[in-house]
Amino acid sequence: MSSPRALHFRGARIIDPLSQRDETGELLVVNDTIQSIAFGGRVDAPKHAEVIECAGAILCPGLIDPHVHLREPGGEAKETILTGTQSAAAGGFTTVCCMPNTSPCLDTAMSVRFVEGRAAAAASARVFVVGAATVSRKGEQLAPMASMAHAGAVAFSDDGDGIASAGMMRRVLEVCRSLDRAFMQHCQDASLSEGGLVNEGSVATRLGLAPWPRDAEEVMLERDLRLNGRLDARYHAQHLSSGGSARILREARARLGADRAHRISGEASPHHLLLTCDACEGYNTGAKMNPPLRTQWDINELKLAIADGTIDVLATDHAPHTIAEKSRDFASAPFGIIGLECALALYTKALVEDGVIDWPRLVCLLTLQPARLCGLDRRVAGIGTLTVGGVADLTLIDPQQKWTIRADAFKSKSRNCPFDGLSVRGKAILTIRAGEVLFREDPVAQPQRAAVATGS
Amino acid sequence: MARSASQTTQALRDIGPDLRLPFAARLRLPLLNRFAAASGIRIPPLRLWATVSRVTRPSIIQRSFGPDFLALEGVCATELTSILDDAERLLPCAVGDAPAARVLEGKLIANLFFEDSTRTRVSFEIAARRLGAEVVNLSASGSSASKGESLVDTSRNIEAMGVDCLVVRCAISGGAALVAANVRCAVVNAGDGRHEHPTQGLLDLLTLRRHLGNLRGKRVAIVGDIANSRVARSTTHGLVALGAQVVAVGPPALVPSSWGALVSGENISISHDMDSIIGEIDAIIMLRIQTERAADRGVAPDYRFAYGLTEARRRRLRPDALILHPGPMNRGVEIDDAVADDAFSSVIFEQVSAGVAVRMAILSRVCGRR
Ligand SMILES: [Zn+2]
Ligand SMILES: [Zn+2]
Repeated sequence: MSSPRALHFRGARIIDPLSQRDETGELLVVNDTIQSIAFGGRVDAPKHAEVIECAGAILCPGLIDPHVHLREPGGEAKETILTGTQSAAAGGFTTVCCMPNTSPCLDTAMSVRFVEGRAAAAASARVFVVGAATVSRKGEQLAPMASMAHAGAVAFSDDGDGIASAGMMRRVLEVCRSLDRAFMQHCQDASLSEGGLVNEGSVATRLGLAPWPRDAEEVMLERDLRLNGRLDARYHAQHLSSGGSARILREARARLGADRAHRISGEASPHHLLLTCDACEGYNTGAKMNPPLRTQWDINELKLAIADGTIDVLATDHAPHTIAEKSRDFASAPFGIIGLECALALYTKALVEDGVIDWPRLVCLLTLQPARLCGLDRRVAGIGTLTVGGVADLTLIDPQQKWTIRADAFKSKSRNCPFDGLSVRGKAILTIRAGEVLFREDPVAQPQRAAVATGS
Repeated sequence: MARSASQTTQALRDIGPDLRLPFAARLRLPLLNRFAAASGIRIPPLRLWATVSRVTRPSIIQRSFGPDFLALEGVCATELTSILDDAERLLPCAVGDAPAARVLEGKLIANLFFEDSTRTRVSFEIAARRLGAEVVNLSASGSSASKGESLVDTSRNIEAMGVDCLVVRCAISGGAALVAANVRCAVVNAGDGRHEHPTQGLLDLLTLRRHLGNLRGKRVAIVGDIANSRVARSTTHGLVALGAQVVAVGPPALVPSSWGALVSGENISISHDMDSIIGEIDAIIMLRIQTERAADRGVAPDYRFAYGLTEARRRRLRPDALILHPGPMNRGVEIDDAVADDAFSSVIFEQVSAGVAVRMAILSRVCGRR
């Protein structure tokens, strides 16, 4: 009988968002579980354990992205569950939550089981399903949310569209409350954004592209928060783009008070923190986004909201599209960019290098917070934390490593990344799911550093 | 007298150095381009970073494979004046009173119209023929042609037949630039969506200049569906470059506050009260209310009451003020019958010949013999 697999991390900067510790130490994984953690000390590792010398790299819970588009079923030319989760693992994510706007839409228990089955058969990172709240995401009829939740849907969203009718929104929030599932809103009032392509302002005016005002996001967010004030569902606003939305969310959280504020949350994505609508110049479809890129003022407001905790979930809104689709003219090209493989570096650039938050907080927003939002602990004990006896989903991050984003080296099937060619700092060098290595940085590809030196 | 081929070459050389720098300074999306090159599609030059200061796009891009004329945005006063001087000299040739130098002899120009516009197409055709070019007309308006893919496909097909210059009209903002990025021959924008219609802008400038002289300090009102108008964009860019003051007039739905950001500086303003500016302007350009662009959603039924050029308003205009309309007119909406008929009858024909002259000037610049 062979001895159990063991991984012995030495000399790591261990960050655990749950216990809020950030100390150098050692961590031992046996099989799929964290066996022991020694902050400032040594663990008792068996002789056969594989030793991983971390040389001060950050060891934290596996990153969790609560908002990705895996495109399967129906959009396999853009991405599949396999390529999307390989992309996730290469970016340090051990878990992703996929949105239901596939074809057909994930609006039945059967379709939830289909994705879970595909993920179990062929996936790198873990996949959890965010089910559609209404049939075909049309906002007209409630989807069978109870049976979907039973089949594994961890949250609900009509992402791609906001729920237009206030009456329907109220019903969805009631059901989400009763099922103890979060509702994730894509805040877009279509009567205000109608036909919009670019943030309302000088770029839209000069290029002759239909404007998309901030109001489209803010009006729906205000309405939802007002409705939810009575219903107390777990409400989450996806991909906030407007500085006004950040202020609205801050006020709403203040009204709820410290003990209830966590019932509502907002999400930021890297592109809304690094790019402005100026990136659309020259009809650059690579910068065509829903919601659109806005201005430096919005970036500043969003960063303030991340700094003070108003926005406490980070995501990528990884949205793969083929080269052919993105090569169309601006109006007919699809919205969205991919983000899984560069999100960590981009967040480092936007938030840590800029002094908005520190590494422990960044880790928290990328692990514990999305795990709480989706109640993932119900499915996998200890996920999003470093807990002795909990699952060994781990990411090792070299916060100093300089690298250049090369979209053609991505594991994702798609290449629609406007950050291609950008020099960044900070990289996941080892991604572990349940004790198994999903991704290990190839030391040949990055010869300037050999942090993942293994011994024994 | 038309300029000779060597003069044209000289003119291109003169504007060359100014333009090459900003063009080179523009960033491209390297990867998308690499892939697009493999798939045979070229992406227009892209800018990625908000931190890169706004780069002025040249209207005539001197490239290894020929210049394009895509927009009036970024065209400097010297270049505009030079184009207008050319057009002025070509006016007698445009109306057939004098023979033009056949600088386009042996050239083949294709009018590729994805949107119907007989007036613009005929104007380009006459301009090209007067300069000795052969012209083919392709109208591709229809559902499949409206997407950018078929725009590029069709343009590349036509180019492969040995065309020297494509005159492109389409409903897609940025459509002309997309074509220009995907063909090697010269491209002239004959109106792209809501973006620009630069030759129409030039003919407005030429007509205004002939009546008002130097445009510096002159006040010009543009009234109507500004937000959806490519003419308003081109004309405003040109007027501001020449030092005129432009006031955009119309209801908030058609003249949004962001309009002021079209150009930097003090020479652009917005008014929602036509009566407050009507007495202080040197010229007024009345735009058609474009129902096909669904702009009428934000337009109240009393549009004429608030913004129509009525007989009463015409009387409040300065006696020497000029009235222009790019046509076709919606009589009884933006302009009253009587105003359209008399005050205006002379200028409208002048605009038509000015249109041929500026198109002659542009065509000889972009594909004249070098
Ligand atoms: Zn969305
Ligand atoms: Zn999304």
